Amino acid sequence: MRQPSVIARRVAAASVSLVVAAGAAACGPKDNDAKGSGGDSTPHKGGTLTVLNSEPQTDFDPARLYTSGGGNVPSLVFRTLTTRNRENGAAGAKVVPDLATDTGRPNKDATVWTYTLKKGLKYEDGTPITSADIKYGIERSFAPELSGGAPYLRDWLAGAADYQGPYKDKKGLSAIETPDERTIVFHLDKPEGEFPFLATQTQFTPVPKAKDTGTKYEEHPVSSGPYKVVKNENDGEHVVLERNTNWSTAVDAERKAYPDTIDVRSGLDSSVINQRLSASQGADAAAVTTDTNLGPAELAKVTGDKELAARVGTGHFGYTNYIAFNPKVKPFDNPKVRQAISYAVDRSSVVNAAGGSALAEPATTFLPDQKSFGYTPYDLFPAGKTGNAAKAKELLAQAGFKNGLTVTLTHSNDKNFETSPEIATALQDALKKAGITVKLQGLEDNDYRDKIHSVKTEPGFFLAHWGADWPSGGPFLAPIFDGRQIVNDGANFNTGLLNDKSVNDEIDAINKLTDLDAAAKRWGALDKKIGEQALVVPLFHPVYKRLYGSDVKNIVISDWTGVLDISQVAVK
Amino acid sequence: MSEALVASQPPGTDTPVPGASGARQFWRRLRAQRAALVAAAVVALLVLVALAAPLLTALEGQDPTTYHPSLIDSARGGVPIGSFGGISADHWLGVEPQTGRDLFARLAYGARVSLAVALAATVLQVFLGIVIGVASALGNRWVDQLLSRVTDIIVALPLMIMSLALLAIVPSSFPRPVLVSLVIGLIAWGNIAKIVRAQTLTLKGLDYVLAARLSGWGAWRIARRELLPGLAAPVITYAALLVPTNISAEAALSFLGVGVKPPTPSWGQMLTAADVWYQAAPQYLLLPAGALFVTVLALTVLGDGVRTALDPRAASRLRVGTGRRNETGGAGTGKEETS
Repeated sequence: MRQPSVIARRVAAASVSLVVAAGAAACGPKDNDAKGSGGDSTPHKGGTLTVLNSEPQTDFDPARLYTSGGGNVPSLVFRTLTTRNRENGAAGAKVVPDLATDTGRPNKDATVWTYTLKKGLKYEDGTPITSADIKYGIERSFAPELSGGAPYLRDWLAGAADYQGPYKDKKGLSAIETPDERTIVFHLDKPEGEFPFLATQTQFTPVPKAKDTGTKYEEHPVSSGPYKVVKNENDGEHVVLERNTNWSTAVDAERKAYPDTIDVRSGLDSSVINQRLSASQGADAAAVTTDTNLGPAELAKVTGDKELAARVGTGHFGYTNYIAFNPKVKPFDNPKVRQAISYAVDRSSVVNAAGGSALAEPATTFLPDQKSFGYTPYDLFPAGKTGNAAKAKELLAQAGFKNGLTVTLTHSNDKNFETSPEIATALQDALKKAGITVKLQGLEDNDYRDKIHSVKTEPGFFLAHWGADWPSGGPFLAPIFDGRQIVNDGANFNTGLLNDKSVNDEIDAINKLTDLDAAAKRWGALDKKIGEQALVVPLFHPVYKRLYGSDVKNIVISDWTGVLDISQVAVK
Repeated sequence: MSEALVASQPPGTDTPVPGASGARQFWRRLRAQRAALVAAAVVALLVLVALAAPLLTALEGQDPTTYHPSLIDSARGGVPIGSFGGISADHWLGVEPQTGRDLFARLAYGARVSLAVALAATVLQVFLGIVIGVASALGNRWVDQLLSRVTDIIVALPLMIMSLALLAIVPSSFPRPVLVSLVIGLIAWGNIAKIVRAQTLTLKGLDYVLAARLSGWGAWRIARRELLPGLAAPVITYAALLVPTNISAEAALSFLGVGVKPPTPSWGQMLTAADVWYQAAPQYLLLPAGALFVTVLALTVLGDGVRTALDPRAASRLRVGTGRRNETGGAGTGKEETS
């Protein structure tokens, strides 16, 4: 079982999942217009790309960033052992080599992973990148003062659970070996076939020990990527990146790095960002955002304008919004009640509340509807488009609630179109038709998150969401349904309190697989099997739509991040 | 009968207790102000709409909470289909983006919340203001000092910040409209208490009150029989101006998300939901904003009219019943004739 403190970090991660997306996965298009603008000629090299963001690039330290696939802006400065494939759509959900020559060579049971670095890798100052620097970078992410990353390294690396980082413990992590300058070997506690996905996170960035300034390193991290940091003002509010002349496409097959300068301006209101991108005046013509989606009202305006509509990127990030039940709370201990609610939901009104069919797709599976997750379609309690009230009433009568039922739905008061009052009222209206009276309990967002993630205070019926740390079934299903991950005193994500031996065993079995396609199929089958218990009601998967400036070309949006990949963009 | 009662009271018989004749004079002065009349009509209409909300929406064939997914364009973020936000014979003011709920019904039911909360809060403020103001004026030095300082503190409290804090800590199971009325009522009674105290102190020194005291009346009886009638004018004036302030306060609190909770419609809440839609569906924002603007303006003008009608100095300028209006009119015409 995980330590509470480790899990607590995931709370933060989940809470900022969309912002994480910012770091990593944020916006995006992948459709026709994308091809139209990029495909016809060689993209223009040079110029300045402006990034307009709401969240500042605080903690611009590879140890502290919590990203999916290395992040968007961070990935311009930090190269990692592996990285995400910078391609449109499903191809972009694959993991590919970055600093390493391949995605990792496992031993038989996937507990030892070996990587070899490419030749000729250099930092911004021209010094060579060595495997020892990658080891050091990982070690410093264990230092308490540099916390913030994903919990996986501490959970997976052998004997790393109590490691306190290289500042306190000079001996370092014995789980990582560097037999020579280009080889690095990881020893894990248990089989983890998805290790190559983990190696995309910024903790796998080389950090030269001599240049490490501890918590001040974020002001000027040493670049291994196409750009170096030349300015970082107000703790990441204004970051300027300029070309790193010691980097070249000869040693990096993924990043294109067409512009000479990247000017990241943050702390802006989301409506201001979208207004500036739609106006596309001056420097904003060569601007993108890596963290701000179009809202429903903005989309309504944009779709009415052909010129603007052509400048919208659309993408899919692995993410599911759902209703969660706590089967320890009556009447949700009764599977028939949970099934009745599953039948009664009106997904079309929920989708409308979330921003309409362009911003949300109805979901009947917990796993996102993407191949890399092992998506296996199922609809175990078919509610149709607008809910099956008759079937719901029948089940309620069987459960002993002939005259209907009154329940309380807990939600956040944050206006996020995910766990917000709009979604809750849409559900309230739909369940009314099935004779279920829903009382709404709207809580201030922090209060709401504390409540739903504590076993002691968890309500019976609430809105929730989950996003993937990488595009695979593992980080999607295990935290929510692995019985050994129930945390009794701390942040708990297994909200259905499911502890089913057959589920736990299957999770272990899939983790042994190093053939990711085979693993994906089994995650999909497991998702369907868990779905039979009706512990959650999947509602919708969000779709990201983002504007970009009129001079921005070469739009690539992968299914990994769902957002425009800033390393591929060119400006005229 | 009131004549007989007055006659039987030895002290204070000659004071102009606002009886039938006072009220008549008040109405006459109020009627003389055209703006106040229009405002009164608007307020009456609003109250009528609020009271008859269930009837009116039934007439329209709608209710404030039913979703109409077929009336919105889901692919375009849920913008209402049709011109002017989907106005039709079935939906007099169009429908809400993303849900298709009827806007007329939501506006009418929202009026109930706004007016009820504002009136309840005003009643509470007036009650507290009178009790504390009179007690402070009639009590001994210590009571006066204590109550006056408490009043000073209450006056100094910023309404919005205090309300935000209070509303955030009360459990959400507490009925929200009642809570909002209580919070506004309990925070903003300071000014009315000050006015009442000052007026009571003035009245206390007048001969008829002294006479009542000399004849052995108790403080309670003096307050009720001699002081309260004299307080009526300033209190009514101030209360009339408090109502629109309270409506704004309720709307602001709902706008900030701590007021009335969904799905109960309220104008402030509609404003919050609508603010991002100002370009794509302007009527969605303009309806609650307009309703709020008209209501607050009408109540303020009416309150001002009431103040004018109750204030003898201001009233004299109206020249109601003095006959001077005719004189001036005559003089005016005379001038025109001469020129």
